[in-house]
Order: sequence, then C-alpha cells, then structure tokens
Amino acid sequence: MQVFHVTMLGHKDHGKSTLLGNLLMLTKSVMQTRIKEAEAYSKKLHKSFEPAFIMDSFVEERMDGLTIDITRAEISYRNAAFSFIDVPGHEELIKNMISGASYASTALLLVSAKPGEGIRDQTKRHLFIARMLGIDRLVVVVNKMDTVGYAERPFRAIIEGLSQFMEKIGFDKKNVEFVPISAYVGDNLVKRSANTKWYKGAPLLETLYGMSYAPPSESADGAARIALQGFLGGRRDIVAGKMLRGRIRKGDRIKIEPIGESATVSGIIINGRSAESTSAGDSVALNLDRKMDGEVRGSVACGRGAATRSTDSISALVFVTGKLGKGMSIRFNGVEVPAGSLKVTRHINPVTGDVYKAKITKPLTVVDAKLKLKSKIPAERFSETRELGRFVLYTGREFSGIGIVTSSHG
Amino acid sequence: MIKQDLKALEDKSVYLLREASMKFKNVAALWSMGKDSTTMLSLARKAFMGKVPFPVIHIDNGIDFPETYAFREQLTKKWDLDLIVAYSKIKPDSAGSACCGKNKPEALKKVMKEHGFDALIVSIRRDEHGIRAKERYMSPRSKDFKWNYKDQPTELWDDYTSNADAESHMRVHPLLDWNEIDIWSYIKKEHVPTNPLYFSRNGFRYRSLGCTHCTVPVKSNAKNVDEIIKELSTTKTEERSGRAMDKEKEAAMERLRALGYM
Repeated sequence: MQVFHVTMLGHKDHGKSTLLGNLLMLTKSVMQTRIKEAEAYSKKLHKSFEPAFIMDSFVEERMDGLTIDITRAEISYRNAAFSFIDVPGHEELIKNMISGASYASTALLLVSAKPGEGIRDQTKRHLFIARMLGIDRLVVVVNKMDTVGYAERPFRAIIEGLSQFMEKIGFDKKNVEFVPISAYVGDNLVKRSANTKWYKGAPLLETLYGMSYAPPSESADGAARIALQGFLGGRRDIVAGKMLRGRIRKGDRIKIEPIGESATVSGIIINGRSAESTSAGDSVALNLDRKMDGEVRGSVACGRGAATRSTDSISALVFVTGKLGKGMSIRFNGVEVPAGSLKVTRHINPVTGDVYKAKITKPLTVVDAKLKLKSKIPAERFSETRELGRFVLYTGREFSGIGIVTSSHG
Repeated sequence: MIKQDLKALEDKSVYLLREASMKFKNVAALWSMGKDSTTMLSLARKAFMGKVPFPVIHIDNGIDFPETYAFREQLTKKWDLDLIVAYSKIKPDSAGSACCGKNKPEALKKVMKEHGFDALIVSIRRDEHGIRAKERYMSPRSKDFKWNYKDQPTELWDDYTSNADAESHMRVHPLLDWNEIDIWSYIKKEHVPTNPLYFSRNGFRYRSLGCTHCTVPVKSNAKNVDEIIKELSTTKTEERSGRAMDKEKEAAMERLRALGYM
C-alpha cells in the first residue's frame, strides 16, 4: 500500500493531537485497548475524555496537556494510507517539530477559530519551516468551529489572514485547501457535517487524499546520484549507499566526489540480490573494478551525465534555532564537516516573510548566509537534489539550525 | 492493520543497519529469538553479503520456553551467528517489571561493559506501544542506560544523532517503521525461520514472546504464516495483550524503557 507521510503543523493547543486521536477512533485505526487506556487516564486526571491521550503517551504530556515529542499514527483510506506525524506546537520544542516535519511530503496545518486563538506567530513559523523543508502541499484545517457556532465568517477570516503570507513564502494557491472542522466533535473529519452546510468542499480525509502525491525526490529522473555510506565489509572495492535519483546499470562508469576517483560498476546488489540496474530509493551495494584510495563515507557516486562539483563554499537559507558562532559545523550526507565561517547576508522574518536589517541573529529567525567549510562536500542546490542540498547546523554539540543550499558555489 | 510496501521498509532497515556498522566501532544486537529480532537478523544478512557481521546477545533468565532454546541452537548453527548468552538472575517471585525492568537490564549492562559495545541494535517497532512510537531510529543512552525521552536529539532526514551524544551507548532501531503484519509478510516472502510457538496449538498461539513467567498465549486458530497474516488483517486486539508487564500500571512501559528495558 502506498503510504503518504503527512506532518501536523500549528500553534500549541490548536488541536493537533486531538484531531489525530479522533481520526484514529472514527476510522477504527486504533485498538480498543488503547482507547480504553486513554479513557482511564483521562478519568484519573478528572478530565472528560481526551482523544489526544491516544497520541500523547508520556505521563508528562498527559499531566501538562502538551505534546513533547513526535509520534506517528497510520490511517488507511481508499487504496492509500496516511502516516501522520504529530509534532509539538510549543516554541521551545521546535527541534522536535522540525525532526518530525522533515519526513513528510504533505502538511496539515491547524488554526483554531476560537475567539482569542486564531492565527499566531507559531502558525506562520511552522508554515515557513514546512516550505523550507520542501513541503508544497497543504491542508489548512480551521478547528474548533463548534466554539463559533459553525459560522462561515470566522472560517473566511482565517483564509484571508493566511493567503497572502502563504503566497509570499512560495505556496501555490492551487496546492492549498481549507477545511472547517471540529476535531473534538468530529465535524468534517471523515464525513461531511450537517453543521457546516455553507461548506461545499470535501471532508478532511478526502481532501488530503486528493492532494497526496509521491515526493519528487523519489523520481528516477536526471543524472544518477548515490549517497555513499562507506565500504562494505572493509573492502575498498565494494561501496554501499542510498540511490537518490537517476539509474545506474552494470558496466556504467561512476565518479565519486569529492575524492575525485572513478571506477566501473562490475556488480549491483540490492538487499541481498544481484541486479542489473539500480534506481531511486534502493539501498544498494556496488562492486567496483578497482579499489578506492580515498574515504567514501559522506561522498556521492555520480553516474552518466553531469557529476556533482565539490565545494567548500555554499550559500544557504538557514532557519536558526540556537546560537551561531564558534565551533560551528554542519552535518551533511552522513558526515560532520566543521565550518570556518558563517556570514549573514540578510535577515528574513519567518512570521511575515519580510527582509530586515539586524546586527545580531536571534533564535527562531531566518537568514541568508554564506558558509565557508573546512573541507569540500558534494553539495547541490536543494531544488536540484534534495538530499545533497540540505544540512543540519550545530554549534558545539547544540542543534542550532537547518539549512537549504541555494547556491553550491559561494 | 496497515500493510506497507515491503521493499521500502527493507531499504530503510538495510540503510540503518549499515549506518550502525559504519558509525560505530563495536556493534551488537539483541536477539530474543522472537519474530522481530529474527527478521532483523535476516535483514542484516542481506545488508552484509549473507553474514550477520555483529555478535547477537540473548539475555537469558533461564526460564525461556524449551522451543525458544531449541530455535536458538538451530539458527545459531544455520546462520553461523556469533551468539553471546548473558545470564540474568531470576527469583520465583520476581516476574514482570521486576525481572524485565531490573534483572535483565543489569545483565545487559554487564555484558555491554565486558565487551565494550558502543551501539546496540534493538528490534522494537512503533506500532507495538504508544511509548515505542516516540522513539528515534538512533537513540542515545546515558551512563546508567537511561533514556532521556524528554530531550531527544534531532533526527532529520537521514541525519542521525552523533555517537558523541551517547554516554554509554547508542540504541539503533532498524525496524521502527514496521507493523506487525509487515513482519509476517516479510517472513512469508523471505522464508525467515520462526519459533514454532507462534503457531496455534489447541486453539492458542503466542503472538508476542517473552519468557515462561510473563507471557500467555492468545486464542487463535492460525496454524501457519498465511493464517497469521489473515488473522492480523482483521484483529481487534493488541499484539502485546499476552504480556503481563504491560498491564501492571499505567505508564509501566515508560518507566521500563527509561530504566533500560528493551
């Protein structure tokens, strides 16, 4: 069954976990024992039943009513399945949100229609991060419609409040849908609700189904690339890795960057079996006609067509989560590479999309930056090869940001 | 229960097993002789040209089922496994979390220290339990083997946490994405050897296997792999319903895992 990975987005307490908990129950995707356990725990805390407890399994999450870390839940629908990734909405837990969202190709953004809640900074920040990670399809669910008497006006107000921002940061209007729901009551989740007669669109699951697609990085197009993990069994003529794009056949010449060595592929093994060719998604091992002199971990094998040009100087869009400065390094393609310097060329406010001038770079902001690395990496633009166009930034041992390569040559 | 694409699951697991062997100096795997850790070994054979390249540890409290011991001997020989048996104490009155939460982790600590392992492959799956659904593919453990679940490292894309983050060792979870039904579909496709206790005798079978003190069979007429797959596609009960310790108190699993339970 084809599985689509969908990340939840949105401000804390706008109903992400409640929505998933209720979707699981309505579609009978969760065992009775797990529902009973959530019921018993709600009772223990003197609360009415909390569907969110099906997702939030940690004691601390239940006591404090928040999601601390990501979790997943699966729902099958028609001939597909959705793997929903629940993420925390709290600002200080953004590193967990980013971890979860990085695995998704589609997003479900929650905005509460309840008076006093609405569109928040965190709502927009999550959208910005999702766009950076390459998510370009989105369902905005306007939640808690029961608290506004299922009126159309608050729903329209949220559409209006978000549209301009979404367009500004690069979402295409035709890839964004809006659905009015009540996660707690269950309106418009699986079936159309009689409470929102003015809403002519499809319920949530059907809407999501309509816009699901395979992410472009899984395509077999373009020049072949294999991200190399290393030598297999200590043999310098067998390399293992993950096929990112394109196709490699037995007898093809490959060039390995940044070590600059070439070889002919004499054998292909995919998960224990010999094969004639390998394509995107495969975990593959290649027999080569000669031993490699250099270290291959963190490098990339390139097939026919243009090879990656290695570089120690990149431009990137960086979402900053911590301190920048001494001891910075990037984790790229499985290896850690020390950074010599990071020069900010401009600041971008992720909540407005506006460019602004600033002397210091604060956490939870975005910058365009030039990075000088202490060794060469096989980087490409994110738009070319996603896996070779993104990195995680560390300052010492602290996670300090994520980056998307906008130019691989300074 | 959702059946996923086996090829995609296999690719990811093979990738993770290779990452473990390339990132860490001294890797070992836990092997309970159950369906999950045996499937993991079958995947490791695929990842490493037909031979499991790391030692496999059985934490043995002496009261596993006779069928389990027989299966251990048989497969160790057949697959030429480097088996390490780590003996764990058992007292007649210490079943459940006292055994799994204390004695077994103690035995594990000892064997990890003796051999200097810096990474441990554990075949847990997200769909087994709400707490296991919160795990990372690679998860560092503190000096006393604790899981700091309130502050887990970032794990984006294929960038897994650095080994420097683990005080004692890294847990590696190559089967995290698999569902119970995927395991059985894979066992069928690849003819993975299985412990006979999983198949129905006199109307009962073991769905999840622990030791003789803590595991009870569930009602089932599934006598072979095909019948198990059929049963699972309509089941209304949880996999670990035959496990005593999951039922003790709320959050038992959370405490167990924080203490170092596998």
